[in-house]
Amino acid sequence: MRFDSVIIGGGLAGLTAGISLQQGGRSTAIVSTGQNALHFFSGCFESLQEPPQRLLDLFAGAGIRVHYEEGVRLMPLGTFRPAALALEDIDLLPAPCFAGKVLVVGFSGFQDFFPGFLADGLAKQGMACRTVQLELPELEKIRLSPSEVRSVQVARTLDRSWGRVVREVVRLLEDEDAVVLPQVFGLQDASVLKYIREGIPARVVFAGTLPPSVPGIRTQMLLKRRYEELGGTFLGGDEVVSAHVHEGVVHSVATRNLDSHRLEAGSFLLASGAYFSKGLTANPFGITEPVFGLDVEQAADRGDWYDPDFAADQPYLQFGVRTDAALHALRDGRPLANLYAIGSILGATRPEFGSGAGLAVRSAFAAVDQILKENAL
Amino acid sequence: MQENTVSPHHFEECMKCTVCTVYCPVLQVNPLYPGPKQAGPDGERLRLKDPAFFNYALKYCMNCKRCEVACPSGVEVADLIQAARIRYDKKPPKLRDRLLASTDFMGSVARPFAPIVNTVTGLGVAKAAMDGVLKIDHRRTFPKYSGKSFEAWLKRQARAQAAFPEQVAYFHGCYVNYNYPQLGKDLVKVLNALGVGVQLLDREKCCGVALITNGMSKQAAKNARHNVAALRKAAVDGGLKVVSTSSSCTMTLRNEYPALLGVDNADVRDAVTLATRFVFEKLEQGAKLRFKAGYRKKIAYHVPCHMERLGWGVFSEKLLRMIPGVEFTLLDSACCGIAGTYGFKKENYEASQAIGEVLFNRIRAANPDVVACDCETCKWQIEMSTDYPVMNPISILAEAIE
Amino acid sequence: MNTQEFDVIIIGGGITGAGTQRDCAMRGLRTLLIERSDIATGATGRNHGLLHSGARYAVNDPESAAECIRENKILRQIAAQCVEPTDGLFITLPEDDLGYQKTFVEACRRAGIDAEVIDPALARRLEPSVNADLIGAVRVPDGSVDPFRLCAANMLDAKLHGGQVRLQTEVTGFIREGDAIRGVHTRNVRTGQEEDFYAPVTVNACGIWGQRIASLAGVSIGMFPSKGALLIFAHRINNMVINRCRKPANADILVPGETVCVIGTTSTRIPFEECDRVAATPEEVDLLISEGAKLSPALASTRILRAYAGVRPLVSADDDPSGRNISRGIVCLDHEGRDGLKGFITITGGKLMTYRLMAEMATDAVCRKLGVDKRCATATTPLPALIEPSNGKGALICECENVTAGKIAQALDRLEVSTLTDLRRRTRVGMGTCQGGLCACRAADLLAQANGCVERERADLADFMQERWKGNYPIGWGDMLREAEYTQWVYKHVLGL
Repeated sequence: MRFDSVIIGGGLAGLTAGISLQQGGRSTAIVSTGQNALHFFSGCFESLQEPPQRLLDLFAGAGIRVHYEEGVRLMPLGTFRPAALALEDIDLLPAPCFAGKVLVVGFSGFQDFFPGFLADGLAKQGMACRTVQLELPELEKIRLSPSEVRSVQVARTLDRSWGRVVREVVRLLEDEDAVVLPQVFGLQDASVLKYIREGIPARVVFAGTLPPSVPGIRTQMLLKRRYEELGGTFLGGDEVVSAHVHEGVVHSVATRNLDSHRLEAGSFLLASGAYFSKGLTANPFGITEPVFGLDVEQAADRGDWYDPDFAADQPYLQFGVRTDAALHALRDGRPLANLYAIGSILGATRPEFGSGAGLAVRSAFAAVDQILKENAL
Repeated sequence: MQENTVSPHHFEECMKCTVCTVYCPVLQVNPLYPGPKQAGPDGERLRLKDPAFFNYALKYCMNCKRCEVACPSGVEVADLIQAARIRYDKKPPKLRDRLLASTDFMGSVARPFAPIVNTVTGLGVAKAAMDGVLKIDHRRTFPKYSGKSFEAWLKRQARAQAAFPEQVAYFHGCYVNYNYPQLGKDLVKVLNALGVGVQLLDREKCCGVALITNGMSKQAAKNARHNVAALRKAAVDGGLKVVSTSSSCTMTLRNEYPALLGVDNADVRDAVTLATRFVFEKLEQGAKLRFKAGYRKKIAYHVPCHMERLGWGVFSEKLLRMIPGVEFTLLDSACCGIAGTYGFKKENYEASQAIGEVLFNRIRAANPDVVACDCETCKWQIEMSTDYPVMNPISILAEAIE
Repeated sequence: MNTQEFDVIIIGGGITGAGTQRDCAMRGLRTLLIERSDIATGATGRNHGLLHSGARYAVNDPESAAECIRENKILRQIAAQCVEPTDGLFITLPEDDLGYQKTFVEACRRAGIDAEVIDPALARRLEPSVNADLIGAVRVPDGSVDPFRLCAANMLDAKLHGGQVRLQTEVTGFIREGDAIRGVHTRNVRTGQEEDFYAPVTVNACGIWGQRIASLAGVSIGMFPSKGALLIFAHRINNMVINRCRKPANADILVPGETVCVIGTTSTRIPFEECDRVAATPEEVDLLISEGAKLSPALASTRILRAYAGVRPLVSADDDPSGRNISRGIVCLDHEGRDGLKGFITITGGKLMTYRLMAEMATDAVCRKLGVDKRCATATTPLPALIEPSNGKGALICECENVTAGKIAQALDRLEVSTLTDLRRRTRVGMGTCQGGLCACRAADLLAQANGCVERERADLADFMQERWKGNYPIGWGDMLREAEYTQWVYKHVLGL
């Protein structure tokens, strides 16, 4: 099967590149090894201070609403982090102290949300806090399971009965100016967030939960749907196992599911992520890129891969695939002419693109521009 | 040393990321099911410690394999669950499950009496009996049995088929043979149009997919050994490709035999292919089909669960898109809820329909002329639960060509 | 300043201290146990968790071997909740001398250990993970024991017999009256609160740290700190203990315990000052994997969960530089006879297996000093259940290790838990594949609710993740590194720790 471009990796970087290329009139396929880091997305683009307009356009096209303002956001353990660009779920607050009195609402039996930590963190910023655990009969059925009362199951239930949550919160509200609720709304459709905010006469702040991330999954679903609407071919649950490279040019890749049926393309984008998604693999002797055998910037001595302090920036997370200025990936020191590395597989080797979600979209746009330029139709 | 982790069905590669739980259709409706993470990799560690950790609620797993498609770590979650059932579940399967799983036995008994069986299984009183005695849900529409088997039909065509320059063997499966020979005939029409003749295997048996999920792995392994021998005769001795029109049969023949039943199929695995993939590859190599002028159809394509696991939906999709006059919609992937025999069981009926509702709504929103899909049990479920007809992509192709 | 009086003060919350407190309490004494951090933090919690049959010592140390098999049989009776009777194999590989097997079996029989030579083919059937190249096998009654729960059960029983426990409490000095120890000065390491406790007898059960406590009392004991490194694999690959049938060497025991298996150990003499901060080095890790794979080749491709190291509390006996030929026998010193210091006893040496015997010897010495004439009953009295089965219900907090909210509630209620790490030692919370990734903050939330201090709990959660990481990074590659990246992401970017 032949495409203009084959993208390896269906996370934020891969989908951003795929959508942009389809919009640029190219035919593409994305090979995605299962689901991806968007399922643990915090909802914030930490390193995107100035969001490119094309990113906002791309999200708008996919039906994803984001907002941009300098501020802080409330973290699930009651701490605050600076943020600028975020999904609509995330409230960007002007300052850590955003209300006089706050009501923190948890749901009985949902143990992946921490009202106690939140209330403590808010109280430290001078807000008066009250926490309540709502007993929702709607959750009784899923609570029969000892392990599966997770954010997504709660969201599936409450997306059908958010009205009850609004009524209960309104009933409990005394003189609080703000209400903190878990991010368990709008799995399929973010309109629910709007209805809740309209229904409660106080500022509503949604705070994160343990994975999986409801806003992240919605984002992934909308981006994938947009990509397929534009005619992209999404090969989910498949894995690129080898590549045919001849004289510095990638000709095709083979996947586990398609076996002998190779995917051919004019250009290839490697958006396979870092260790978790196996874009990079580590063994006791070194860190390698398993599909193309690319050059990986790393510390030679295993002892230097880690900082013994858990909280420190870990050296292994800085390692990444080497690229030239145009993001062509290097092998044996030389660029492969039509292979571009994007997203977290770059580690911290290209600091100009930032990190995390910012790195994913910026490097994806840069590679797409390069492809559209180098291979004009 | 320590280059990579090796463990049964890759369970050690589980990162506890919880993604599988998002995509499990059963978990969305049945809180008694422990979920793919607990039933799969988490449970496996505990079962290795003590087999008493085996949980009979694993039977609620439909083996749809959506957890495996979703897993970012390559853990074969559903295989782990089915393997645990095979290893630890010592309860003999119920009569009902044995009947439902024995699709070829039921077919061969019922087929000669098809008009009677179809009438009887359609009657309220028989349904009540099945519901009360066998716990097969009375609200379920039973697949109809065909009066003439596909095998008998194709045998009469043998000489004509042998005349084609290129040959394939066809693993038709129980459904085509006993319930719906038309699909087989459609395949023959399409392949003949490509200059390919169709042969039967040397006596195929049921692939065994239903036997595995109904706790009859011994019988499934017996069928598997028989089928692999038949496949070998066609593929290795005869040098033929073996095509199938069922995504579940194809997945079972290729993946489940070695992974769950311990039946080695290495020498025949690559020869077994899905008909849409075979046709797509033919066309890619330059073969031509002559399509009818003025063919118009609005098609919504549903990728069955086992097709997702095979990763071959792309072939059916590209084929359908290439038919002139087709307006194509790809449905967001979701399980229809039937999962083979799962939805037939009384205790699963509600769950089955609740699971399917997401897909049914998407179909209603797309409002197509026909739903395309490569799985026979999805067809039953969608036709029973919505007002839309369901056709295999091969049948649509057969309808669209001259 | 509070003062309180007891019959005996026991310093050290390892298995020896907890066992001694239980024995003393069961003989009617008013007891206090003081531990500077948590129970089972020293050598007690840093070993294989092997329920020795004694076979390993049979050739070189018949006395220890005989003690082991006696205690082995006792522990199966009194601590069934903590013991798994897996049996063990002593295998001979082609590079080993098969002649040693005969010497070994004879020594076992002399020590009273039931050692049965079996056909290698039978060994392969009994334990499919064993190196298939083995040329000889002997079956012995080895097993595995959970040292954390064993220690907690002893502490709980002591409490049920009226004993008091002060964890997170450091002994800062002794209260002397002439040539006698009459009590201890203590300081709570968290709150800084100082307290004095009085008792006519004090028992030093501090393992390797006993040297420091002894010098605080003005007497000298020469300990022989010998570091041993071990690896935990992420699931059970064997169901029987596998040993090499040869003179004890590096990485020659593979023990299945709970959901994991453990390979060890190494043996390196270290300076006494390093006892508080031992860690497995990359060289030790590599050696454990390559030697371990000879016992069971699957180890070479099995995910590793943690690397850790402990210090054996051996008492210096000679100048052997390896420390391996030192007797692991029990040393019970009455400092009155040895040093002219009244009211002070040191119990050391020994091993996890013989803790009960050590406790009995120490308690006998205490009773002699107090003039109490009560017989030891610990060999026949079962330990109490830590978690009642009826309380095992509720939501799953730790999904890897199957720890429910009910179990955690009971641990918080009666097992002296103040931190997440304490909770882990009692319940296994956070000990599974994800190393606390999902459960640590759930458990922290429960702990914060129980003790009402969220601020402290946030710091405790950070400490817990740090403690997990300490054991993870020495084996940080493959799936462990994937897990580490995920955990970093969740805790830093999603949760905001």
